[in-house]
Amino acid sequence: MKSYKKYFSINLALGLLLLVLSCEKKQEETTNSKVEISETEAPLVETASLDFSQIPFKNLSDYGFFKGKLKSLDPDEGVLLYEPASSLFTDYAHKSRFIWMPEGTAASIREDDEGSMDFPDNTVIIKNFYYPADFRKPEAEKRIIETRLMVKRNGVWDAYPYVWKEDQSDAIYKVVGAEIEVAWTDLQGKEQVINYIVPNKNQCKSCHNEKEQLVPIGVKAKHLNHEIRFAEGEKNQLVKWQEMGYLSDLNDPTTYPAMVDYNIPSHSLELRAKAYLDINCGHCHRADGPASTSGLFLTYEETDPLKLGINKTPVAAGFGAGTFKYDIVPGQADQSILTYRMSTNQVGAAMPEIGRVIVHQEGLELIREWINGLK
Amino acid sequence: MKGLRQYIPFFALVFLYPILFSCNSSTTEMTFDSSKLRKATQEETEKVIEQFIMAEDSMVIEIPAGFYALKTQLILDNKNHITIKGAGLTETVLSFRDLKAGGEGVKLVGNNITIQDLSVEDAPGDGIKSQHCDGITFRKVNVTWTNGDKSKNGTYAIYPVQCKNVLIDECIASHSKDAGIYVGQSENIIVRNSLAFGNVAGIEIENSDNAEVYGNTVRDNSGGILVFNLPGLPKSDGRGTKIYNNEILHNNHKNFATALSEDPNGNTVTMIPPGSGIVILAAKEVEIFDNRIHKNKTVGLAIANYHVTGFPMDAPNWSPFTSNIFVHDNDYQRTWHFPDFTKEFGQLISVYNAHGFARTQDIIYDGFWDKTISDNIQSNPMKICIREKEMEKIHFTLFDLWEGEDNIKSSKDYAPFNCEVQVKTDVSAIANL
Repeated sequence: MKSYKKYFSINLALGLLLLVLSCEKKQEETTNSKVEISETEAPLVETASLDFSQIPFKNLSDYGFFKGKLKSLDPDEGVLLYEPASSLFTDYAHKSRFIWMPEGTAASIREDDEGSMDFPDNTVIIKNFYYPADFRKPEAEKRIIETRLMVKRNGVWDAYPYVWKEDQSDAIYKVVGAEIEVAWTDLQGKEQVINYIVPNKNQCKSCHNEKEQLVPIGVKAKHLNHEIRFAEGEKNQLVKWQEMGYLSDLNDPTTYPAMVDYNIPSHSLELRAKAYLDINCGHCHRADGPASTSGLFLTYEETDPLKLGINKTPVAAGFGAGTFKYDIVPGQADQSILTYRMSTNQVGAAMPEIGRVIVHQEGLELIREWINGLK
Repeated sequence: MKGLRQYIPFFALVFLYPILFSCNSSTTEMTFDSSKLRKATQEETEKVIEQFIMAEDSMVIEIPAGFYALKTQLILDNKNHITIKGAGLTETVLSFRDLKAGGEGVKLVGNNITIQDLSVEDAPGDGIKSQHCDGITFRKVNVTWTNGDKSKNGTYAIYPVQCKNVLIDECIASHSKDAGIYVGQSENIIVRNSLAFGNVAGIEIENSDNAEVYGNTVRDNSGGILVFNLPGLPKSDGRGTKIYNNEILHNNHKNFATALSEDPNGNTVTMIPPGSGIVILAAKEVEIFDNRIHKNKTVGLAIANYHVTGFPMDAPNWSPFTSNIFVHDNDYQRTWHFPDFTKEFGQLISVYNAHGFARTQDIIYDGFWDKTISDNIQSNPMKICIREKEMEKIHFTLFDLWEGEDNIKSSKDYAPFNCEVQVKTDVSAIANL
C-alpha cells in the first residue's frame, strides 16, 4: 500500500489545514493580580504529640514539620531532608523532600535488588512542589504549589495532598485535585506558563502502587545511596539516616545498590538512561506495578531486552503507538514508541500518564541519545 | 503483494482510491444524545469525585441523573463490594472530554465491584478500565466517543485487565479506536447480551483463559470478534474461549486505528482488514458455533497464526500458532461488496483466495503450522476443526504462505479439517452474578 501514501498524505495535509483553520485560538485571560504574600508564622506544633489516627489534618501547618514561616520549609527537629539520585520530572517543578519518624523507631533495608525499605508506623514522607520565579536564581523568590504527604499507619501507607494558598501562608488538604496556572522564567531566560495539575488523591496510586498497595517510591537504598549536603557538610544519606537513628543495621554503603544521577554527563549513557527510565517510568512499568499489563519493564535492574522494549510491539497503546511498531528500535529514536510518548502532550498518549502537561526536553534528549546509540 | 503495488499506474490510483475507500463504511451513530441532559453543577461533580475517593467497603456510589463534565479521573482504589450506580444508561453521563491527565476516565480496582446504569463519554485514553479485580461486573453501561473525527477517539471502551471473574452484560461499546469491549490477561469471563458497533474491533478476548462470548450483537466494526494471544505479556498464553449465538453483522467499518495515510503500527488491531467477522490469532482452544456471521465483506472467520503479523515471535511460554479450534453450525451470508484492499491481510484474502478475485470468503486459514509436529498440513497438526453444515457451499480458503508473498498458494480443500476437538470452558460461577 506504500504507493498510495502520497495521496493519503495530501488528504492528510488538507485535513490538517482545515483542522488548523477551524481551531480558534482561545484567548485566556491571565490574571496578573498579585496576591500579597503572608508573613505570619505557623503555630508551634510538636509532631510527635499528634494523634495520628486523626490524620489527615485540615492544614499542613497542623503537623508541625516546619518552623517559622511555613513557606520557608525550614524543617523542625527530626524532619530530615533527603534527595533521590535521579528525580521524577513534574513539569519542571522543583521539589524538596523530607522524612520524619517517631523517636526510637527506625527503618531497615531489605535484601532486594533495589534496597527497598521497611518503615516503622507513623513514618511521614513530605514532598513539596514549588517553582522559583526565576530558575536562574532558585534560592530567591519562589511559589510553592502543593505538598504531598505519605503516612504509614498500622502497616499501611496513605497519601494526602495539600494545595498551597496563594498567599503562601499554609496549604489545605484537598482530595479532588486542582488546576493551577504557574509561571516562571526558565534557565534560558524565557517566560513559561503552564496549567499545573494537582492530582486527585486516588491518582497518587497511579504511580505509588505495588500489587495495588500504596508504597513510597524514592525512599529506597538505590535512590539514597549517595552524598548530599547537610548542615555539617557532605555525607552519604544512608549514613546520615543511621546517625539520626532512622536506619538500623546499616552495613558499608557500598554493599547496597546505588543509582546514578541522570543529570551528570560523566556517568555512562546507558546508566543515565536507565536511571531516567527507572524514576520516571519504572514505578508503573514493573512486574508489580499498574503498567505490568504492557510487559514493558523499565526498572534500573531490568536486563531482558524484550522487557525493556527493544523490538517489542505494544499491547494496548492505542494512538500512543503513533505510527510506530516497536517500543524501542535500536539506533532509531525517531521510530520508537518510547520517545514518541515522551514527546507528546496529548492526554491518553503522553507518558507518564499523569504528572506532566509539558515535555521534558532534556530527558527526552537523553533517551533519544541512548536509543540512537543502541545496536 | 509488493509486485501488485508497483504496477498499478499512477493515474489509475487516483481514481481507484476514492472507490476503494468508499466501500469502507463509517458510522457516527449515537446511542442517544447526551447534550440534552441537565449539566451537573461543579458541586455535584466534585461530590462524585469525592465519593470515589472516600469509598469504603460495601458502599453504593449513586450518581444521579445529569451530564458530568470531569477534569480528573474517577478512581476506585482497591475496595471490596462496591456498587457504582447511575440513574440509567441514558440518564447519567460521565464525560471526560475535559480530562487533563490520566490514562483512562474511570479506573476500578478491588473485589466484587459492579458498575451499572451509566454512560462514559470521550475519555482521551480508555473509557472504563478495571485492573486486578476479582469479581467485576459491567451491567447496562454504555461507553462511547462523540467526536466527529474518529481518529481522535480513545483506545478501549470497556477494559477489564488482569482480572478474575469478569461479567459484561447488556453493555454498549462504540467508536473506540481499538476494541470496544476488551478483556485482557484475565480469567473466567462472560461477555453477553451486549452491543458493539463502530469500533475498530467489536469484542476482543486477549491472553485470557476460560471465556464465553454469547448473545451479543457485533456490527459495523472493522473486525467483529477477535481472540488473540500476544507475546511478551505477564499472562503469556490464554486458552479456552467459546463464541456462540452472536449476531456478527456487516463489520465493514473502515479501520481508523491509524490514519489512512499511515501503515499499520505495532498495535495488531491496526492490521485488521475491514470486513472481518471473527479473527483468531495465535489462539488456543476456541469453539465457535451457532453464530450468524452475515455480510462481512472480506471474511467471515479468519484463522491466523502470529506469523502473518510479521512481528518478532520470540517470547517465553507463548506459541505463535493457533491450535485446537472447533468451528461448527454457524450461519454465513456473504456480500457482493468489494472485499478489503486497504490492509495487507485484506489484500491477501481478496486477491489470493481460492474462489476468485475479490470474492468474499467465509472461512480462511493462513496455513502456518508447527513443523516440529508434522511435515505437512494435511495431517492437521494444529487441530483446526471445521464442520459447517454445507461445507461445499462455504467459501473456504487454505493459504500456503511459507514461501512469502512472491509465491502465495491457496486451496479450497477443507477435507483435512473435518474433525472435532473438545474445548472446555466453565463460567457457571459468574453466570448468575
